[in-house]
Amino acid sequence: MEKEQYDFIGQPLEIKNIGKVTGKELYSSDINIPGQLYAVILRSPHAHAEIKKVDYSEAVKVGAVCIGPQDVPEIIYNERIVSIPEKTYRDRTVLPKEKVRHKGEALVACAAETEEKAWAALQKIKIEWGKQWKPLLTLEKALSDDAPPIYDWVYLGEEKLKVKNNIACERNIEVGDVEEGFREADIVIEKTFHTQRVYHMQFETKSAVCVPEADGGITVWTTSQGIHNVRILLGNIFNLPLSKINIKRITLGGSFGSSIQMNSITPICVALALKAKKPVKLVSSREDDFYDHAKYPLKTILKVGVKKDGTFTAAHCRVWVEIGGHNIQAYPYLGCVAGWFASLYKWKNIKYEGTAVYTNKVPTCAMQGYGNPQINFAVESMIDILAEELKMDPINLRLKNYVGKGDEFWGQGPTVRSIIRSCGVEEMLLEGAKLAQWEKRVPHYQKKEVIRKGMGVARGFHTSGTGGPNPGEVIDYSGATIKINEDGSVDVLTALMDLGGGTWDALAKIVAEVLKVPFEKIGIYNGIDTRSTVFDVNTHATRGVYCGGGAVKFVAEKVKEILLNYAATLFKDLPENLVLSCNKELGQAIIYPREIPENYKTIGEIAEYAHTTSWGTLAYTSTLRQKNCPPCFITHFVEVEVNTRTGEVKIPRVVIMGDSGTIINPNLWEGQIIGAFSRGLGFGLLEETDYHPEDGSLRCKGLVTDYKIPTTLEMPKIEDIIVRSAHTYEPTGPFGAKGIGEAALSSVGPAIANAIYNAIGIRFYELPITPEKILKSLQEKEENLRKRRGE
Amino acid sequence: MEEYKIEMKINGERLVATTQADESLLKFLRRNGFFEVKCGCEKGECGTCTVILQGKAVKSCITLALQANNKEVWTIRGMEKFELGRKLQESFVQYGAIQCGFCTPGMILVAKAYLDKNPIPDRKEIKREIAGNLCRCTGYKKIIDAIYAVAEENKKMN
Repeated sequence: MEKEQYDFIGQPLEIKNIGKVTGKELYSSDINIPGQLYAVILRSPHAHAEIKKVDYSEAVKVGAVCIGPQDVPEIIYNERIVSIPEKTYRDRTVLPKEKVRHKGEALVACAAETEEKAWAALQKIKIEWGKQWKPLLTLEKALSDDAPPIYDWVYLGEEKLKVKNNIACERNIEVGDVEEGFREADIVIEKTFHTQRVYHMQFETKSAVCVPEADGGITVWTTSQGIHNVRILLGNIFNLPLSKINIKRITLGGSFGSSIQMNSITPICVALALKAKKPVKLVSSREDDFYDHAKYPLKTILKVGVKKDGTFTAAHCRVWVEIGGHNIQAYPYLGCVAGWFASLYKWKNIKYEGTAVYTNKVPTCAMQGYGNPQINFAVESMIDILAEELKMDPINLRLKNYVGKGDEFWGQGPTVRSIIRSCGVEEMLLEGAKLAQWEKRVPHYQKKEVIRKGMGVARGFHTSGTGGPNPGEVIDYSGATIKINEDGSVDVLTALMDLGGGTWDALAKIVAEVLKVPFEKIGIYNGIDTRSTVFDVNTHATRGVYCGGGAVKFVAEKVKEILLNYAATLFKDLPENLVLSCNKELGQAIIYPREIPENYKTIGEIAEYAHTTSWGTLAYTSTLRQKNCPPCFITHFVEVEVNTRTGEVKIPRVVIMGDSGTIINPNLWEGQIIGAFSRGLGFGLLEETDYHPEDGSLRCKGLVTDYKIPTTLEMPKIEDIIVRSAHTYEPTGPFGAKGIGEAALSSVGPAIANAIYNAIGIRFYELPITPEKILKSLQEKEENLRKRRGE
Repeated sequence: MEEYKIEMKINGERLVATTQADESLLKFLRRNGFFEVKCGCEKGECGTCTVILQGKAVKSCITLALQANNKEVWTIRGMEKFELGRKLQESFVQYGAIQCGFCTPGMILVAKAYLDKNPIPDRKEIKREIAGNLCRCTGYKKIIDAIYAVAEENKKMN
């Protein structure tokens, strides 16, 4: 590990959050334009039905502006344009033209002077429905031969494809020879795993405000993880030059992947504003939001071959995902699931078959991990199953087979790969085991208490960004303009979003570190839009610090070069003889000739001189593509208490080990890990969007407490949430940094499942592991025991 | 629907405005420019819209504006007028208790109302007291740590 002394990197400084504690932070729903109309959406009462006629004339009579299927452009698009166009499936229009494909799909929108008037107008809309089909709500039903087609055809790039058996897309990958590998194995085990649909439950519901401008263009504030992609899409859909569209970068009230794609309400708001020729504001209700997005579920059949000494010989992984009524990103999703699977362990020979299937449910999209927590649940449960069969310690089996330093990592499916250069896996497993007191773990058959304790381990990772030595199927670059202002303070203009994880603070620290300008004098937080920035793809794929930070570091170094070259003319010296450092007493970066610090000039003086002599601005603009996708690793040691009378699971204690290379924001790094643990706890024990089997409606009816996310009370004892960092340095990252965000969630689910197994000796193959499922399994186990005893 | 003229003191300043019988305090406040009061669910489930009404933390989405007539309301913007409010704000920043920030105003207001009544609670009591306010980002630990740090300071001063 290389050790460097930093002025700002790793310091617990946070500026962004001052606006959030004082109530001054603005979110999309806080934007108000004089004369704005308020929009509401009529959503489909049917899950799969033909639209014959939409008549909103009565709504117009009471003063509303309306748009229906007949008013929106014919353009068929995919709302997520992170993948290259030829690998992007397209199946949707702004509002559905011929039929609705899930209950709650937006169908007509009304805008009026007040929200109440808009709602009143909405009641007057008449819809004539044609043929209706029984909703297809499961993989099996959607794939059956007599299933009605949800789509007849879709586009892949420019190619029109016929949809067969409701299969949205497929992806098959083979490396080596699995059959040969299974023949070499001493033990072969196959199991089926299921993970469920989870709702993001980001606190800010999807919102947009759109202002039609005098030049025929539009200005938009909306919930988005990538403003440039929203602009490109709106330009395409509404046939406007990008120079006439300006998307404002605005703080997000959480997202967790649900705004990687342009949100469905954004173009609806734009279409209304263009029709009304007035500003329009559209804020989703919580129920609307529940019907807008969910996490991809996954069914996995995993077969693994292993030798007696614990060496893997082959793995065959078949996955199915039911994606709901639209294909947002299932093709790259299937590729990523393959990549996470292939990069967890050295399977030697692999075969992967992935199928994505349309159903009449809410469209699914990325949610913290993009398939990683789903496939990790199968793999990390399987490792424990194999370890028991081999009579090996689960930690040792992991240590024997993990993919680590020097191995290849698939950062974003099979086309984005790079070599791992930093890896804390071994340190995290061994140190974590000590902290968790792993050696005190008792096998389940020795436990007889009503409340049984157990401990489980699982490990995971996520990529940092989607770059590789060769650009693959995923677009990945970021950029910035950085300028030293006339007083020596610095503006950083980047489109990169901060989802709450502290990305902007991290970027500010990186720039501060390069230019030695105090962190407080870096302006990065406000006043950014697509017009003032170069392209940034998105804050997704745990790429904020690694890719976005890499890009601002690159640009800041260029500015430093310009600054030193200019300063050299003032010092009448060579730039390489000058030293740039931070003088904290002055609150300024200073430059001085080597060995003569008393002759310093502050960069404020230098910038002012450049200004008053009309030399110009010390500034630079560029973009950068990272050419690696280093994994950030995570390991969870979870302690559980299973109440065998009620089926309830409590988690009194957890030890979490993270490997992000250099940590830039220590507080928020830890905060992201603990936050991910709470969402993982929801994923493992509580959450599922359950559907009514007849009408395809959500059984929680948009109610948060019926859906159930973890509260403070489900979390472990606060003092017993232990988070530690591995000691690593990523040579390709900005100041040695990698990501953390999505990695932090990846192995929570299986760690809980493995701990429950250790407590009660029952293996759960399906999440969430609810009290009902535990009680049922305990009863079955008891009955089997009785039968075996001949009672 | 009939309009009612109501009057309240918001963050120490008098506001006279009209409302209707079915208007929630949340809608009333946002309609009158108090956008720091965030809307998370409008069903009283998440606590995002919490304000302090007559010293008590309430969910403004399930409180009628009429119920606040002739009463005192504090939002997050008024917190800097109290030493405890400022301390909580600083502590939340210092402990990294904030991510997206959408639940933060409600969390700080719940903490303020609670610490006013019980200035030196332990972590377990804080955990129970704020259970009605949900947060999706942080996993709550740092929020509880931030509130506890203020409680610890109160203890030293007593």
